[in-house]
Amino acid sequence: MGESYHFPLAVVDGLRLEKAVRDALKPGAIVRDDEGRARRLPRYFYEIPSWDDAMRLKLTPDFALWEFIQTDVREAEALRAFPRYVPCAVTLLAPSLQRFREAVGSFVHIAANGGYRSPSHGVSGNASPHAWATAVNIYRIGDTFLDDREAIERYAAMARAVLPGVWTRPFGWGRGLTDDHLHLDFGYVVSIPRDAPADPAGVDPEVAVAC
Amino acid sequence: MPELIEQSVALDPTYSEAADRLRARLQKLERDSGARALGVAVYDTASGFSFRYNAERWFHAASTIKLAILLGVYSAIHRGWVLPHSRLHVRNRFMSAVSGAPFRVAADRDANAQVHAAIGKMLRISELARHMIATSSNLATNLLLDLVGLDTVQQSLAEFSIEGVDIRRGVEDERAFEHGINNRVTAAGLVDLLHVIADRCAFSRELSDQMLELLHAQEFRSGIPARLPAAVRVAHKTGEISTVAHDAGVVYPPDRKPYVIAVLTEWSPEGSGRSATIAEISHSVYELLAQVNDGG
Repeated sequence: MGESYHFPLAVVDGLRLEKAVRDALKPGAIVRDDEGRARRLPRYFYEIPSWDDAMRLKLTPDFALWEFIQTDVREAEALRAFPRYVPCAVTLLAPSLQRFREAVGSFVHIAANGGYRSPSHGVSGNASPHAWATAVNIYRIGDTFLDDREAIERYAAMARAVLPGVWTRPFGWGRGLTDDHLHLDFGYVVSIPRDAPADPAGVDPEVAVAC
Repeated sequence: MPELIEQSVALDPTYSEAADRLRARLQKLERDSGARALGVAVYDTASGFSFRYNAERWFHAASTIKLAILLGVYSAIHRGWVLPHSRLHVRNRFMSAVSGAPFRVAADRDANAQVHAAIGKMLRISELARHMIATSSNLATNLLLDLVGLDTVQQSLAEFSIEGVDIRRGVEDERAFEHGINNRVTAAGLVDLLHVIADRCAFSRELSDQMLELLHAQEFRSGIPARLPAAVRVAHKTGEISTVAHDAGVVYPPDRKPYVIAVLTEWSPEGSGRSATIAEISHSVYELLAQVNDGG
């Protein structure tokens, strides 16, 4: 048996973080999607000690962690300082995006606020998959800005061709549509790594935080 | 006290004669320049002298509305909602004041390409404010207004009792324009706004100084500063669309306290000589204040 790879970020239980952070991350809380269906937010997060760590940590050959955690002033204040937290599913998203990047053959730029953003972020809507770290917004691929039907639909089709099960937001100008970027997501995937801390009470964490 | 000073200045024959000469000069300019209308307001912080010419007339604000948005942004900074170095996602998608329909700022109608090049990335609030003022970036303007909200800007104007600035929407909102929903200003309103900043009373001395620094970085200098001596510094904001050309700012002569001036002009779309007219008025005001300062 070979030596096991040690992922450099610690897994933390969001329910054990300090209150201000916990309130912003809402670990394990129930939120509703646009159709009113209940969706449970992630409970386990990777702890990112510093921006330097996020810059250094390559999740794939072409994507580093920092690209998935850029958020602006509308992010909850408690989440703007390090250590920062990202749902563990980010390590599943990155290889998918790497596959997409190889298919398009050019740089794929994840937008600010377009990777992980917390459920408390000012632009997070109902049960946005961005709060699961399973979605990305892409404004630009190579030198092409994805701001018209042709570009958005062309790259959405390429994504669907290489990423089974990926959802691409349809082009359009109304609610639930996109007209100025490509949105890819894998839905409400929750990742609990094997070294995630145990729940000391033995209580189903999802029951414990249901609201 | 300022009111008493103004009254005493108004009664001073040196000032009233100078004001009469300036009024006659503006009437002639209004006739000869081809402008549909001129509005001018001046407030001299050194003497308390105040001059008004059609100063209560409403004009389409064009980019002078960015002065009000600047005040709103610094109100948000003052209240701790944002910091100057806070980062904001650059996205070119806004909601019209009419029906909430989405619209964009066309890159080829914007004087500043740097903000458009940052779409998808983040810029600091201070960088966006500088682009909004110094190069009149429409994209930066709408991003900042979107962040702080129309209410914040309106409340900031109300906080300082500025009545001659009426903000209803962002810029480049064609649908709102077609429905007659426009931002409006009077010369008196812009002078009131700039007077608050020039007196360093806009929230704090430090924040007022930061706003003045941005206004000093103005890159469009064919209006108020164009015919003033090189040693005179001007912190100002221009505004121009097809039918109006404006400039409003704080003028700092080297040897005296500053004065505040707003020159608003309205034209037919084919009208020419706009900047020259503003520069001429600015020069006339400078000369007037220099003369009365020297004893007439």
